[in-house]
Amino acid sequence: MEVNKVIDAKGLACPMPIVKTKKVMDELNSGDILEVHATDKGAKSDLSAWAKSGGHEILKNTEEGDVLKFWIKKA
Amino acid sequence: MANTKVAIIAANGTLFDAYKVFNLATAAAASDAEVGIFFTFEGLNLIHKEAHKNLPLPVGKEHFGEGFKQANVPSIEELAGIAQELGIRLIGCQMTMDVMNLEKDAFIDGIEVGGAATFMEYAKDADITLSF
Repeated sequence: MEVNKVIDAKGLACPMPIVKTKKVMDELNSGDILEVHATDKGAKSDLSAWAKSGGHEILKNTEEGDVLKFWIKKA
Repeated sequence: MANTKVAIIAANGTLFDAYKVFNLATAAAASDAEVGIFFTFEGLNLIHKEAHKNLPLPVGKEHFGEGFKQANVPSIEELAGIAQELGIRLIGCQMTMDVMNLEKDAFIDGIEVGGAATFMEYAKDADITLSF
């Protein structure tokens, strides 16, 4: 998977992972893939909901220890 | 949430109230919703230049102060700035400002000042209305 940009949102609490993801996503082009790393446990459902509301696709998500990782394809 | 309009009333002024208002508002705006917040009575503290830097915890809940530090939540000052960056309309209540003898320059830059009718006009076709 070719990732266009990686966001480190580790240590950030709600709503910052979403806010940060939105800002970076705005700079990407349709079809680009954004990789997000977060430790906020709420990010799992929040990023899914955020992606859904914008029509973006979550290609994959993993949990490595405390770190949640998401790969999101821009609509 | 594009094409979704969110209208929020902020009528209380503790740190808890501030997080409720700004977290939901910024999350909505980051999801491409149109967001407007009407700050009235104690809610005005949330956008007051000085007061919003040091909002009190609710009486009897002071012990949560440590939890806020540990959870690494952004400051209210920071969240208010993010709200403005995301294009959220911040409307201060004129009548409350008159009662409390406050001028517009006591508040963070970029706010609007309006009355109840201003907010009602904005909120009349809102999809989501929240009051705190």
